[in-house]
Amino acid sequence: MGYIFYPGCASEATGKASFISFEAVVKALGMDVHDEIPDWNCCGASLVANAVGDLAQQAIAARNLALAEKAGKDVIVACSSCYLNLSWTNEKMKIDPKFHSQINEALGAGGLSYSAGLQVRHLIDVLINEVGLDKVRERTIKPLEGLKVACYSGCQTVRAIRRPDFDDVEFPVMLDRLVEALGATAVPFPMAARCCGGAQQFTNPELIYDLTGKVLDSAAENGADVIVTPCPMCALNTDAFQDKIAKLKKKKYNMPVLFVTQLMGVAFDLKPKDLAFPYNIVSPYKKLAKWVKK
Amino acid sequence: MTAANKQASRYDPAFANELYAIENGEYMKQCMQCGLCVVTCPARHLMDLQPRKYFKAIQAGDRDQVLKANTPWLCTSCNLCTVRCPRGIPIIDVMHGMKLYLAQKQGIKVAPGALFSKTFFDVMLKRGRQWEAWLTQMYYLKAGPGAIKDAMKMIDVAQAMVFKKRLPLAPAKTIKGKSQLKKIYEKAAALAKEGH
Ligand code: SF4
Ligand code: SF4
Ligand code: SF4
Ligand code: SF4
Repeated sequence: MGYIFYPGCASEATGKASFISFEAVVKALGMDVHDEIPDWNCCGASLVANAVGDLAQQAIAARNLALAEKAGKDVIVACSSCYLNLSWTNEKMKIDPKFHSQINEALGAGGLSYSAGLQVRHLIDVLINEVGLDKVRERTIKPLEGLKVACYSGCQTVRAIRRPDFDDVEFPVMLDRLVEALGATAVPFPMAARCCGGAQQFTNPELIYDLTGKVLDSAAENGADVIVTPCPMCALNTDAFQDKIAKLKKKKYNMPVLFVTQLMGVAFDLKPKDLAFPYNIVSPYKKLAKWVKK
Repeated sequence: MTAANKQASRYDPAFANELYAIENGEYMKQCMQCGLCVVTCPARHLMDLQPRKYFKAIQAGDRDQVLKANTPWLCTSCNLCTVRCPRGIPIIDVMHGMKLYLAQKQGIKVAPGALFSKTFFDVMLKRGRQWEAWLTQMYYLKAGPGAIKDAMKMIDVAQAMVFKKRLPLAPAKTIKGKSQLKKIYEKAAALAKEGH
């Protein structure tokens, strides 16, 4: 039945490059992804759960599912945090009848309902299990031979529904397989599903410096040229805070952070505007000079 | 009051029961103190009570310790403890419940995380979507001069983000279903109150 896209708020700001490259890659692969959920709202993230509790936050997230059901399509998500909020709400409605009826009572106040009949799928899951790596290999025009990549799945991507689903919850490998299909080398990266500190940039910055620092250290120690991630928050912390962390630790990283769809765009030889490199804070041009002209 | 009495009054079963009754609070009864969440937690070194001790203090009804602990405010919702806990406790959900409880009990200034979460929610509900640049301004406005000093330390990061168009200063889109969203939220909040 195809997919409908939930972009999430980050797609309009911190994760703009994810949005642009996602749309281009979807087109390049001829994926069955159509439109955005009409009039989608913010999923709320854990911050809203902090402020108003789980049920209220999940009802807010569920409005999107109700709107997707009206369109009759399964949901595809790229942001890890959005994925957690939508897929966990969906999953909980499937397994917990009381929760199902509470959410529907809340949705009813807005004239909506949701049967919990849809699937919520992460982009990486769909790429691996629906599109398939053969198709990705086939579409690769410029194999990224020699490029060493630290594949940062991020913590919530693989633990959203709290049990092994499309990847291992502690040591994910699917992003590695995807990057290898582009001809690149996935370096060993023990931090692949470890936390970067999440959304505590303003409230506990030392946590971000510490945890994101460990992620950057691990990528550097394992010889990565670039970090690749599907998650706008992981990307924000590792990219925008990199210089600051480097200064604090008296180190130099020079570690560009790309959305996985940006890297796919490079291998697929998509147009420069589809790669959305101008949004990257640590410039990726030098490390990718073999494949992309500035 | 004798020293022994003072010691005895430190632990209040009624307080434990009060916490078991909050949203997701009942799970805290299940903790068997194995400590797996502690070795798991990436934020443990900054917590004054690491998760296992935090749950112990709750079970013991140790009001003072629980109320002053920064534990839930440091939880990043990374979900690693949740997938590992042998008792199947959804620890992040418990932390959400505790944060809501603490903010209601002690006010929004109980921790920077409480104020930030509330501001995030207010901005989001009004527009239906998040607008980070506005959120940041609103947060610092409410947080006061001390926080603004901290904000100045972040100016380099913010500048780079604005320069690379990752922190648009122009308003984000609003949704058409704003009042629908508000009704859904209000109903769910009322249901949550009833259920606990
Ligand atoms: S998780 Fe973040 S990006 Fe996703 S919808 Fe919520 S606020 Fe927006
Ligand atoms: S690694 Fe950080 S940003 Fe990424 S999903 Fe985890 S907490 Fe969120
Ligand atoms: S892992 Fe679970 S049971 Fe073990 S101490 Fe932590 S919360 Fe308690
Ligand atoms: S979810 Fe929270 S408490 Fe659990 S390991 Fe992650 S940061 Fe620690």
